[in-house]
Amino acid sequence: MLEALGFFATAWTDPWLIFLVATGTLTGIYIGAIPGLSVTMATSILISFTFKWDVNEALALISGVFFGGVYGGSRTAILLNIPGAPSAIATALEGYPLAKRGEAGEAIGLTTVMSVFGGFVGIIALALFAPVISEFALMFQSRDYLLLGVIGILLVGTLSGESFAKGAFAGALGVLIGMVGLDPMTAEGRFTFGSIHLLGGISYVAAMIGLFGVAEALVQLKTLNTPAIKQKIDRIIPKFSDVKKYFWLAIRASGIGTIIGALPGTGGDIAALLAYDDAKRSTKNPERPFGTGNREGLVAPEAANNAAVGGAHIPMLTLGIPGDAVTAVIIGALFIHGLKPGPLLLVETPHLFWFIVGTLTLANIFLLIFGLTGIRLFTKIVECPKAVLIPLIIVLSSVGTYAIQNNPVDVYWMLLFGVVGYFMKTYGLEVGPVILGVILGPMMDSNYRRTMLRARSDFGDFIWGFISNPISLILTVALLFMLLSQTKLWSYLRSRISAGRT
Amino acid sequence: MTSETPHRRPGELVFALLLVVFSVAAFWQAYGISGFSSKIAPGVFPMIASGVMVISGLKVLISTARLPKQDAGAPGFLSEILTGRHLVVIGLVFGYVLSMPFVGFVASSALFLFCAFQFLWRKNPLLTLALTATTLTLIYLVFREVFQVVLPQGTLIRGLF
Repeated sequence: MLEALGFFATAWTDPWLIFLVATGTLTGIYIGAIPGLSVTMATSILISFTFKWDVNEALALISGVFFGGVYGGSRTAILLNIPGAPSAIATALEGYPLAKRGEAGEAIGLTTVMSVFGGFVGIIALALFAPVISEFALMFQSRDYLLLGVIGILLVGTLSGESFAKGAFAGALGVLIGMVGLDPMTAEGRFTFGSIHLLGGISYVAAMIGLFGVAEALVQLKTLNTPAIKQKIDRIIPKFSDVKKYFWLAIRASGIGTIIGALPGTGGDIAALLAYDDAKRSTKNPERPFGTGNREGLVAPEAANNAAVGGAHIPMLTLGIPGDAVTAVIIGALFIHGLKPGPLLLVETPHLFWFIVGTLTLANIFLLIFGLTGIRLFTKIVECPKAVLIPLIIVLSSVGTYAIQNNPVDVYWMLLFGVVGYFMKTYGLEVGPVILGVILGPMMDSNYRRTMLRARSDFGDFIWGFISNPISLILTVALLFMLLSQTKLWSYLRSRISAGRT
Repeated sequence: MTSETPHRRPGELVFALLLVVFSVAAFWQAYGISGFSSKIAPGVFPMIASGVMVISGLKVLISTARLPKQDAGAPGFLSEILTGRHLVVIGLVFGYVLSMPFVGFVASSALFLFCAFQFLWRKNPLLTLALTATTLTLIYLVFREVFQVVLPQGTLIRGLF
């Protein structure tokens, strides 16, 4: 316990690390807030610049950016009705009407306090449950990891995209990209086409930066001339009575956020929408109708999306399965630093786990400080025209990709992914599952082959393994349920059941 | 989550068709790795992944083909999806990325930023020049000095930048 506390305090006692967390949080708030810049984009570019750093320094900065970014999206949602990030969509529904009434300052103050509150709930859950889950995950066998990988990709694919088929396609494409290069087991080339540039595989950071940076910049070109709306900011620190009034709602929303964040495949955006929906159902006599500046509707999604940050770290650190696109990128950062997120992370490198918990806590405190200050300057910065922002994103993406291995080929890949990603986004194929596929693909491949080896290449034994072990059985049923829910049979059964009720 | 588009977007059918063609080609390549020689061969998982792509790609193609066409007066592919603005910016980015190994990071970025700012922002060229100089200096200082990133030096004018 004392040892864990010592690891936890590492970031708190080193002024340089404190500075990095603070810088990360502040930058994250602006990145999350500026429409066109996303946390995923920033984190993927940051990884390329920080991979030569000490792992603690890199993690301190990235944790700050993650926390700040998730919160930052709410500011533009309130001030400009443009959710800076998908997790702030619900916030815009209530925040912008409040801003139109001239209550933007108060709305920002309340969201800040509730975001920080939610953040703490998520971190506490991470500190309490990750060690338990990690211990439990030690019982997982290779086939369970294979199942978790498939479930994770399919969940991200189905929940974020237009259709199940598009999500599955994007995920499988990612897995295929992850297969390029020498096979780690037999050293046989896969999709290398005789080129030495492909022997080492396609750099997933290049893919990430292309899909999240350049592709997004190209999408933003469509809305280049959207004018910014000026805002009047007055009172920012929320009234204590307000905080007290929404306390229980914030607790419930944070609980939803943590659980949704911890499920593989679901992140802050879904957590926020579910919490918003819950607030809508549970608020009996709203001060104002929902959609016209209701505060319950503002508090719930904000507490939930920040709670999801801590929650999303749970599967990432204990199972090695990223919960959403941002954690997929962060898991990439951990790989680059030679770490292996999974059940053994807590056993082999407990200092790293507690250090992450420590930096997240610190980032949350900085969020409170930066969230309640500097809003006037903030409104000036977010008015930065997209015409200036887009070329800058492209330059940063190019330098970032080059910095990984000082190899221009990576930059060409990045550009190709950027253009392909643009078309994918335009036609409703989300790029998140692609990255998840690239990260999880090699893990799934090796676990598939291990499982098949254990079954001595006997197909019957292979299948029997999925139903004979309780953990595997639960995961198999979950996967089958997911697949079944996409078929016509499911909608037929549902219509029969509802018809039976009436 | 986005709602189902009531109409087919311009170029969507061709895109869906390309998905299927790419998936089939990928499956063929995956089969070429080791065929069906063994259940743990290096080509098995790539075949599974590309097989999923073929099936889901076909599903996407069918559902796209079933969507009603856009109205006659609706904007087409070049005015909605790949606009002149996109073509110019993509062209500039290609020029930028391809010229970087030759002229180095500073010169290529300066040129790219100036052209892109001027094209998208359409302000006085002197103002664009000042903006280019400021942003590039900031990027250089942050990445070269703080992050200590080795920026590409051109082969043509090495030593100068």
